[in-house]
Amino acid sequence: MTEEPIMKTTLRSDELSCPTCVDNIESSLNQTEGVSKATVHFNTGRIEVEHDPETVSEDKLVKIVGQSGYEARISQF
Amino acid sequence: MESLRKLFRSLANPSKRKKVLVIVSGLLITAGWTADFFWGSALLFNTLMIGAALVAGSEIARRAWQGLQNRHTNIELLVTIAATGGLAIGVYWEAAAVTFLFLLGGWLEARTMSKTRDTLRELINMAPETAIVVDDGDRTEIPARQVQKGMLVLVKPGAKIPVDGIVESGGTTVDESAITGEPIPTEKHPQSEVYAGTINQNGSIQVRATKAGGDTTLAKIIRRVEEAQEEKAPTQRFIERFASWYTPGIVGLSIASYLFTWNLELALTLLVIGCPGALVISTPISVITGIGNAAKKGILIKGGEYLENAGKVTAIALDKTGTLTTGKPTVSEIIHFSKEAALAGVDPEEEFQKVHTVSLSDQNNQSLPSEGEELLYWASIAESVSEHPLAEAILAEEQAGHITEPDQFESHTGQGIEAALGDDHIFVGKTEFMKQKGVSIGEGINNEIQNLTKKGRTVVLVASNNELLGAIGIADQMRPNAPKMISRLRENGIERIAMLTGDAQPTAEAIAEEAGITEVHAGILPEAKNDIILEMQKQGYQVAMIGDGINDAPALASANIGIAMGAVGTDVAIETADIALMSDELMNIPEALRLSSKTLSNIRQNVVIALVTVAALLAGVFTGSVHMASGMLVHELSVMAVILNGMRLRWM
Repeated sequence: MTEEPIMKTTLRSDELSCPTCVDNIESSLNQTEGVSKATVHFNTGRIEVEHDPETVSEDKLVKIVGQSGYEARISQF
Repeated sequence: MESLRKLFRSLANPSKRKKVLVIVSGLLITAGWTADFFWGSALLFNTLMIGAALVAGSEIARRAWQGLQNRHTNIELLVTIAATGGLAIGVYWEAAAVTFLFLLGGWLEARTMSKTRDTLRELINMAPETAIVVDDGDRTEIPARQVQKGMLVLVKPGAKIPVDGIVESGGTTVDESAITGEPIPTEKHPQSEVYAGTINQNGSIQVRATKAGGDTTLAKIIRRVEEAQEEKAPTQRFIERFASWYTPGIVGLSIASYLFTWNLELALTLLVIGCPGALVISTPISVITGIGNAAKKGILIKGGEYLENAGKVTAIALDKTGTLTTGKPTVSEIIHFSKEAALAGVDPEEEFQKVHTVSLSDQNNQSLPSEGEELLYWASIAESVSEHPLAEAILAEEQAGHITEPDQFESHTGQGIEAALGDDHIFVGKTEFMKQKGVSIGEGINNEIQNLTKKGRTVVLVASNNELLGAIGIADQMRPNAPKMISRLRENGIERIAMLTGDAQPTAEAIAEEAGITEVHAGILPEAKNDIILEMQKQGYQVAMIGDGINDAPALASANIGIAMGAVGTDVAIETADIALMSDELMNIPEALRLSSKTLSNIRQNVVIALVTVAALLAGVFTGSVHMASGMLVHELSVMAVILNGMRLRWM
């Protein structure tokens, strides 16, 4: 049995304006298949996602955050 | 068909979607009021308002639904219930206003908030994407984070330096303000250290990379700033606890008030004001802006908690060496005996009368008398294997070239060193050390030593084969801004300023007097520094300790706030201190405390704005003067007020 490849992706959204939206984004990412862990930091707008890139791509993550109403982009660090 | 598809595609972009929905529902509301004003048409008015509520509400309801699917209730759900209820009981204008204002507020707040995150974005953008690697004359451009340690990187004039490293060839000036906050460019020669994210100004240099990508000083700063901004201040934690029962409390209140009064509109209005927006954002907005602004000036504050503590400081304890002074001691005087006296003297006691003090600053590069050279020669042999900071000063002065290392060497910490080379025994150290070793010290030289000590010099005596050769006066220059910093601190209301140092009392007092410090604790060990800080705290002071971050670690840790100086390039200082100053600029100390107290009062103002708004809204709802639309308006205005107030910190 091969282990699932886990990738760490950092997204950034400068738009987060209400700490409750953190819960919205976090829960929708965490409910997505292929995402093992998602953490949203309100103050800096940093979104850390551990995911399996085969099941859910980086672009898909950006789209999911977008559905919660916030524009995000992929960041190097 | 193509344009419709284009419209849909752009609606997938959340910012554009929000903008389009806000504009459309805003237009519908305006049209509704126009219809009402000119034609008094209730039907048209209601239809347009329902349309506006549906347009703006669709986005809110979609987010509420998304939350429910993830088994999670959110503010959007409350607003959706309130607006749906509003439509059901026929208050169409209220329903339209609530949804429109909620979207408009969210959109404006997002735009403003993204401004507060500018500092971080600027820092991240400081790092260039690529580096030009030189290998045997071949130049290749590769991604900056793929540069390996030891690679040679070419940096052209005007380009940003892509890695941390050592200049191998070439010379230039570098603008290091991104890292140190220091606006004056620094000169760089071969062997100078350079940092990623700084700007090469006028010369072409080749840099041997030591760190790249995530290991660079810049990346560490970014990470620190980020962690600092994410760490919750005590006020933020308190407010979040409050907010976590505020929303359920309001929902409960809404249900209870409906059961008691059967007034559905009152219950729905309560739901509208159920979002603790201004409250939860009050502290973070000030913390992010305060820490961001400080970072731009080269002041790294580790987190909201430290910001709050630093804002309350009433007393300061500071280390002398490396903080008030440059920490780079240099030889300032040499005391030696005149040889002719020794040769001509019939009485050996005679030589102690002929003592000469040579001040090196008056010397203007003239060569020392041979006795002075000899003194430095012996001292250098002994010091060549020592790691004491004073040793460096002595070795820097000895220009004879190659120094022989001693055969034997023993260091007596805080006292002196003894070394042996062939048949010669050398002692270098304090007066007491010489006495212990049985070296006799004449009255003439003793007076000269006292004189130098009173001037703030550290005096080291040199003896070879049990005979005193003379002494070396070493000065650690005070930083030019020290007196200005001390008076600024007093102006800013710091009641007590104490200097803590391991140096001798006269040396310490000379510097303290020059800087304007009256409380001096000299000749103490690092543990004792710690005790003094605990004592100050017992007397009710909030103490900030300022040191170089390495020797003062215990004292930095026990103080309410530990501030480390000159942290660029020293990871220890960045890690251990609560506030790290990237440059050696002393004026950044009062600046850090000033920014902290400004931020602290900004947080307090924001909490007051938020609490007053909540109280006023609740009172307004129950006295019947606040309805759904006005409730949402006041709520969104209070969020904007808090954000804008926090943003003032950018210019402080």
